[in-house]
Amino acid sequence: MKTPLLQAVLDPDRLTVFFQPIFHSRRINQVYSLEALIRGPRGTNLERADVLFDYVRRKKAEALVDQSCVAAICRAAVDLPPHFRLNVNVHSSTLGQNSAFVKYFRNQAKKYSLALDRFTVEIVEHCPTSNVLGLMHSIGVLRSAGVRLALDDVGLGQSNYRMMVDCHPEFFKLDSYFVRGLRVDPRRRAVVQSVVTLAQAMGSSVVAEGPESKEELWELAEMGVEFTQANILCPAMPLQDLVAAGLLGNVDAAQESEKKIEDIEGARQKLAAAAGEL
Amino acid sequence: MQRILFLDDDEQLAKVYKEFFSNLGYQVDCAQELEEAEALLDHYPYGVVVTDLRLSKLGFGGLELLKHIREQALQTRIVVLTGYGWPELKSEALSYRVDAFVRKPTRMTELAQTVGLLMGAGA
Repeated sequence: MKTPLLQAVLDPDRLTVFFQPIFHSRRINQVYSLEALIRGPRGTNLERADVLFDYVRRKKAEALVDQSCVAAICRAAVDLPPHFRLNVNVHSSTLGQNSAFVKYFRNQAKKYSLALDRFTVEIVEHCPTSNVLGLMHSIGVLRSAGVRLALDDVGLGQSNYRMMVDCHPEFFKLDSYFVRGLRVDPRRRAVVQSVVTLAQAMGSSVVAEGPESKEELWELAEMGVEFTQANILCPAMPLQDLVAAGLLGNVDAAQESEKKIEDIEGARQKLAAAAGEL
Repeated sequence: MQRILFLDDDEQLAKVYKEFFSNLGYQVDCAQELEEAEALLDHYPYGVVVTDLRLSKLGFGGLELLKHIREQALQTRIVVLTGYGWPELKSEALSYRVDAFVRKPTRMTELAQTVGLLMGAGA
């Protein structure tokens, strides 16, 4: 049933789009891509993204809402400088069951003159995909249009080995659960290392989500994680705030990031010295 | 701050709950749909959930919410607020270990007293 609340979520005008940069792990002054993150209608209980998508899944409205989100994102990204890539989250069930979604996605990108090869679709899998053939078909169409794929929340839920084999994503997004505290937890470290090894064997790259310290950033880069997305580097914010903060390419941002690199280098030297003392 | 969740499909009533209980110092969320209430329960810790049993537009969403709370083993107290005196409904609600029943229409002070007692009692 399309209740007034669901109708609000299905209206792209009621959604807010935030963007969070994904940085090169070894060159954190360089933004590789921006992940578009949706916030629900203002003044409702669904402003928080986790509550919003929990509600949407309970309403079994993932496909309709994914369309609404894509429309909001394309419109919000129209002012993004063209050299920036864009990551968009889409439920695997949407790709598997709704053949109209890919067409809708292409039309929205075209409407706002956004080249499809700028996009990475992050496949979100909260329940097993029942229509694998449909999913593979949608993936094939997206790929032929130049869209890249990422498997979201690797290590949690349904983002499993089968999806890695079937979808062959260019990126594995490693959930923050495994990233935070990896320096002091050998089990987390082992998981991160195994995902990096797996990704490299499959010709994919790893994006680590949520490191919370400079030491973790350094450690991830040393372990072969190519990309990092972290609040410590830059939280999600509206595009105009990213621009105002100079995070999309002006000199101040580069200097700020250079300082972060120096800090990381300092941390690296301290760690090396500590290791030498041992 | 102690948090309360109201599930009631009456928008005007929800506004009254929100204003009244916010003034008493509670953090108040009002949901008008079962799925909305369930999503909120999975992300916020509520001391007390106040639900109508019969949501006129959506059937017996209140009972489904009680089931969800108990299946998820959520540590929250439950107040059932209903204008319908159907004994079989009340009996089923009781099987979900409801902490208090309050008959609609009720005085807000009476409801506040019940909520306050349950908040003080803890989970």
